[in-house]
Amino acid sequence: MGIQEQYRSEAAALLSSGEVKLIIGFGAGSTADRRRPLFARTPDEAQKFVLDAACIANLSTYLVTEGLLSDGKKVAVFLKPDGIRSVNILISEAQLKPEQVVILGYAIDNAEVTPLEGRKISDFSISEQIRSLTPPPHILQEAERIEEMSATERFEFWKEHFAKCIKCYACRQVCPMCYCRRCIVDVNQPQWISTSSHTLGNFEWNLVRAFHLAGRCAACGACDRACPVNIPLRLVNYRMGKEVSDAFDYCAGENSNQKPVLASFKQDDPETFIL
Amino acid sequence: MTRILLRNKLDECIAAWQKAGFSVLAPVRRHEMSSFGEVQKVADMALDLVLTERTIKDKFFPQTEPLIKYKISKQQIDSETMTPPDQKRVFFGVRPCDASGLAIDDPLFGWDYKDDYWFRRRDNSVIVTIACAKADDFCMCTSVKLSPESTKGADVMLRPLLEGSGWQIEVCTERGKALLEIVSSLLLEGNGHTFPLPQVAEKFDVEKVMEWLASKENFESQFWKDISLRCVGCGSCTFLCPTCHCFDIQDEGDTYQGIRRKNWDSCSFANFTMHTSGHNPRNTQSTRWRQRIMHKFNYYRGKFGVNSCSGCGRCTRQCPVDMGITETLQAISNLPR
Amino acid sequence: MIYSPFPMRVVSKRQEAPGVNTLKLEFVKQEDHEFFKQNYKTGMFGLYGIFGEGESTFCVASPETRKEYIECTFRQSGRVTSTLASVDAGDIVTFRGPYGNRFPIEQFEGKNLLFIAGGIALPPTRSVIWSCLDQREKYRDVTIVYGARTVADLVYKNELDEWKKRDDVRLVLTVDPGGETPDWQDHVGFVPTVLEQAAPSPENTIAVLCGPPIMIKFTLTALQKLGFTAENVYTTLENRMKCGVGKCGRCNVGSVYICKEGPVFTAAEVQAMPQADL
Repeated sequence: MGIQEQYRSEAAALLSSGEVKLIIGFGAGSTADRRRPLFARTPDEAQKFVLDAACIANLSTYLVTEGLLSDGKKVAVFLKPDGIRSVNILISEAQLKPEQVVILGYAIDNAEVTPLEGRKISDFSISEQIRSLTPPPHILQEAERIEEMSATERFEFWKEHFAKCIKCYACRQVCPMCYCRRCIVDVNQPQWISTSSHTLGNFEWNLVRAFHLAGRCAACGACDRACPVNIPLRLVNYRMGKEVSDAFDYCAGENSNQKPVLASFKQDDPETFIL
Repeated sequence: MTRILLRNKLDECIAAWQKAGFSVLAPVRRHEMSSFGEVQKVADMALDLVLTERTIKDKFFPQTEPLIKYKISKQQIDSETMTPPDQKRVFFGVRPCDASGLAIDDPLFGWDYKDDYWFRRRDNSVIVTIACAKADDFCMCTSVKLSPESTKGADVMLRPLLEGSGWQIEVCTERGKALLEIVSSLLLEGNGHTFPLPQVAEKFDVEKVMEWLASKENFESQFWKDISLRCVGCGSCTFLCPTCHCFDIQDEGDTYQGIRRKNWDSCSFANFTMHTSGHNPRNTQSTRWRQRIMHKFNYYRGKFGVNSCSGCGRCTRQCPVDMGITETLQAISNLPR
Repeated sequence: MIYSPFPMRVVSKRQEAPGVNTLKLEFVKQEDHEFFKQNYKTGMFGLYGIFGEGESTFCVASPETRKEYIECTFRQSGRVTSTLASVDAGDIVTFRGPYGNRFPIEQFEGKNLLFIAGGIALPPTRSVIWSCLDQREKYRDVTIVYGARTVADLVYKNELDEWKKRDDVRLVLTVDPGGETPDWQDHVGFVPTVLEQAAPSPENTIAVLCGPPIMIKFTLTALQKLGFTAENVYTTLENRMKCGVGKCGRCNVGSVYICKEGPVFTAAEVQAMPQADL
């Protein structure tokens, strides 16, 4: 039985047994090569799930929808390693209860989809996978190219890209880690971040988001794919992640017991104060 | 007698228009994004795209626009109204959907109070539309009763010639006529065979949609919750839409001076209708999605006689979760009656 | 040009209740004042602001019979209102308007008037009340029913005294149960209850009702019990606004844009709107 069939019947079983109230997966999209998030509440709806190499979105972002899990019931979700990493991070930040999430895990390798063993978040030991989870080669190449630029060249590069930003916040909305009920841009007393979409305002927004994600980003690339004006956001977050990793030997999402690196203080930290 | 503009004459046309005080904008690919930008010659243009990723709306209703510059102290205000630049512009190579977007928004910006930020730019601009030679899976102009050769909003309509050597010219307005006068010596008389229009199949029955939306009991239908489950509430569809026009007014500056700006805003944002008291009439994504559809195909039509949609399909093309209005309208027109 | 506000000088500031202030503003420029005098009618609203903070929407609380100045009353609740609450006489603020539609008070002539308001919603009602009282002979009986949560929350306290003393106005004052002070002489009870007890007749009467949505809901029920029809009850709606002129797409309830087709509506018009969008 192919993985799609296998997961369809598993999903149907989870729903008909009542173990979960909802399953978040993929369905056919508006064109042959697109997939879209699909929500199933009945075994019949579960038959519409599609699972193939085009299912790359990080669906864990729906787990932090306001009110979804407040009834204490369980939700199942189709996740790749980057999504599993996201769930670990969300649990370590107290946004999810591990017992409420059932994971239908899969990995995509060279256009082939294989199932991952496990259903509870603690079943997945993907730390090895995460540590070696480098971004796709073209991203790495681009990151290296930018690394070799002078500070002026680098600033020009980013200025051209951020000038395109339209403050649609698609990057924020698809990111599982951007779950703040009131984002910093929505605070108006004082207005910390300009809401205007001129180059300065765009820099403010994109840099603040990058800082807020430092040490928390699951490197799923959802922001990059979502950006309608093709800003290579992956590069920014990759670089921040590298900074954190180099400075603190820390990689977010390895397990759900990690303490958030920039939000916790250990007695033996080299700094003498929490800031 | 129809006339033809040859592609190999376009560089001279651009120069002539520039000499007459126009800056010439056309589809360009810059920094991994296609939009309208200033060009000097035809080689700068990207005329082979189905359409540009960004619309020309930005050039009439910028994503951030300074309104008033102010200097304040407790007992004094010095303020200066900022006006749009007085630059004449030619928009060459606009798609019919984008041109019609401008025409669709005109009645709103002129509704009793004239928004001169919009109209000064409109009055300074000439729209040269090029009919479509190809479409993609997301185009749906025919579903909203427009077409790949619609002249709505166009001052001049160009139809691509079969051989690709240029375009057949149709003059649509006086403004278009005046623009062509400047380059009349560069134009040829003649007909030419035009490239066949792409077949854009109708994706939904817009009459059925409008009928369903007009019925009061459907306002609170479960349909709205079901269809909008995956919407993440970003502003991509609204910001890339040729007709969406919602905005915010924000003051930016320090204690003593600053600029009051008009910025793009979106009805899909959670705080769009939030009252200071904390009450939010549209506090779920499904109510916000309903507002979007009702506004475009019911409220706007009721007030201005036209749907606020030009069928360009960008909402679906760019949506991070493959939504957009096509799916919703298809679902509505397929609902059992 | 559109969106350009008028500079206004603060003449005085009066605290009405905890967190609630009234500003009396005069025009800095003569031509702005002329525009206002020509266009303002009771019911219309404006956007009051301070450069650097933004603008906030409230009604014009002064009547169309007194156009030498503008009065506005507001509760301090967010960024702009907090700054407006801290101005002093002589400071400059901004006003954009008057926008919106009006109470058709000429259609009220020869009729009895029943004004009902709750808490901070007295200001828009007060604008109509004075527009009518300043032409008292055109109207028949005038009854005002006004209530607030507590005695301290009653606004326009000195005007309430004035209305009480007039023998051509019937004033029914109330506070919510628990909001009375030991020396409180008037009613205790929620406005809809007190209204029912006062039992004004619907015969040849127009009702003007302003208040928070919950109060409007229950008061409308009480009015309908008393025999009023929804076409004879006028109310005001509010929504978040930015442009005030129908372009920013924010203030609509269904297809009705509060800034252009409101804020004054009959109860019948409000009932015809999609209630889920309120």
